[in-house]
Amino acid sequence: MLSRGGHRASDAELIGGRKQAANPMLSRGDEMPAIELRDLRKNYGRRAALRGLTLDVEGAQILGIVGPDGAGKTTLLRALAGLLEVEAERASVLGFDLRQDTASLRACLGYVPQTFGLYRELSVAENLRVVGRLHGLSDAEIERRGKALLERNGLLPFVDRSTGALSGGMKQKLAIASALLPDPQLLILDEPTAGVDVVARDEIWQILEERKAETLIVVSTSYLNEAAACDRLIYLDSGRVVASGTPTALCAATPFELYRAWGALPRTIAQAARKLPFVVAAGATGQFARVEVAVDRSPGAAAVCAALEALPGAGVVLAARAPLDMESTLRALAVAGQPPARQGNVA
Amino acid sequence: MNTEVILRAEGLTRKFGDFTAVDSLNLRVLQGEIFAFLGANGSGKSTTIRMLIGLLRPTAGRAVIDGIDVIATPRRVREHIGYMGQRVSLYQGLSLRENVDFYAGLQSVGGAELERRWGELRERFSLREVENEAASDLPAGLRQRAGLALAILHRPHVLFLDEPTAGVDLAGRALFWELIQEQADQGRTVFVTTHFLEEAEYCDRVSFIDAGRLIADATPAELRERYSGGYLVRASGLAGATLAIAAALKAELSQARAEALIDDNSTLSSEISDTPLEKQRRGHVSIKGSEVSVRLGSLPPERIATLRRAVRAAGAETLSIEPPDMADVFRQLSRVEGGRP
Repeated sequence: MLSRGGHRASDAELIGGRKQAANPMLSRGDEMPAIELRDLRKNYGRRAALRGLTLDVEGAQILGIVGPDGAGKTTLLRALAGLLEVEAERASVLGFDLRQDTASLRACLGYVPQTFGLYRELSVAENLRVVGRLHGLSDAEIERRGKALLERNGLLPFVDRSTGALSGGMKQKLAIASALLPDPQLLILDEPTAGVDVVARDEIWQILEERKAETLIVVSTSYLNEAAACDRLIYLDSGRVVASGTPTALCAATPFELYRAWGALPRTIAQAARKLPFVVAAGATGQFARVEVAVDRSPGAAAVCAALEALPGAGVVLAARAPLDMESTLRALAVAGQPPARQGNVA
Repeated sequence: MNTEVILRAEGLTRKFGDFTAVDSLNLRVLQGEIFAFLGANGSGKSTTIRMLIGLLRPTAGRAVIDGIDVIATPRRVREHIGYMGQRVSLYQGLSLRENVDFYAGLQSVGGAELERRWGELRERFSLREVENEAASDLPAGLRQRAGLALAILHRPHVLFLDEPTAGVDLAGRALFWELIQEQADQGRTVFVTTHFLEEAEYCDRVSFIDAGRLIADATPAELRERYSGGYLVRASGLAGATLAIAAALKAELSQARAEALIDDNSTLSSEISDTPLEKQRRGHVSIKGSEVSVRLGSLPPERIATLRRAVRAAGAETLSIEPPDMADVFRQLSRVEGGRP
């Protein structure tokens, strides 16, 4: 167990950071948490992870970061958390400059990395104590806030359990509780629900929903329903913002129509549907083929359904138009995000 | 579908001290089937898989895979099975091709035979371009595809995939599942876990483990029927046709009910009709303006075909079906059958 004295020095540093944070720009309630990025760049050797990313966010909300593997999601989250050296025209998070003032910024935010970052040998309570003390909280305050957080996320009965013995979902809930302990203005979570079961995912999202009135939450996810639940989405590809907006607005701007072609052999249906001139993409689920049609090539819903039902040998029993969903929205953005020359090196 | 049982577990149990991680599990998987093995974090999935692939000795019970007794001869089962975990183990310092040579060597595959097998996999899995890249540089989707290729290089009869798509993006997941389905088409049995519940749709059977006990083992259609509010079927036509359409849907509903009463051969342990969700949502035809809607518990393709004929004959111009969300199915299943509060 870490001794209290051992952390005095860093406590002082962090408390210093909080004092700075208490300027009029940032005091909670007066000013909305904000992110302002202009031409943010990050290179790893010759590989460009962020290539001139521009982003404005104002106010508490859930901001979702989505995009394909390698788009730069984790790099962006780490940059926002003040963990990377970056170049930019402007890079302000909560009023701090990402190029200078990252220690002060880090004192004001909670960060949940993709890989579990807590001490496995310590108990749930001990982990919270370590985090609380690093943020300069008194033991009484850690106890009070910690108890409330664990009560809320259902981990209170496991307070003395070794963290390494928690299930995957419980570990994530503890990581989120630790990040929330200093009551941050900004909470950054990198795929917090990857590998987590549906019930625990629901619980985690409920906690985020409860916090979003007062905290700016930036979260990356590969679950479609979670992307749909964000207040605003940023779609990244190749280190750039391809699109941003509310899920509803992004969905409305998607130039696809979605159809379901039902039948006993959805994969056969999908294969046959791909040959139709107006079909952009078709994939099979267990019961039907999802068929995406380009709006500008669509002959109209009735004609599309008739064409799908007439596909030779596919056995379509019913084709019907369906409301466009997050899956189609993200697929359309993936197409939009392909730059003419997609390469990994700095030009 | 083949009816040969290729994987059988009976009374499989594993205790760690006082804690029973897996409790008298019975499993039966048919050859060529895609078998989903789902459950919450900490429910005993990984412990079960570790026992089935011969890495962990059960406290009690037996497991036979491809005719091999896994408990008595755990080493012998290895050439019959392939395994791929959530974190694909590639040697980071080696290129993908060097990894392939290394794994192939362990499985005694080499020479012209290796060239032929790897050549086919490399093309089908779109790995040619990254073949000479360091394994550490591969993005998640490619790494998982490479992992699958390595897991089937020795042509195992049963493939164990433990959360193969965790952390993989949408396009990567779609491609990965196409490859899994092709493996099953070739007669390979796939035993897979996932937390992307829509992926359960791609599986022939879905089992669900909770606190070490099996609480469901059924087809996706059976699970949807038991643990969801059903398919929302909506039809509309000209104003004068509304009542005729409603009558057609009502007839369909009575038919579905009659069949539900005689169909009682499921292995699921409780009746969905007892749950409030069911009472709330299913069971009546409603009319709003010119739109008629009904919720039906099951909708196999042949029923959709008759439904379509019936409502069109009644004057409907549009017919749409909204399927139940698989995630809702598992939420309900956990609530009704699970031990969690």
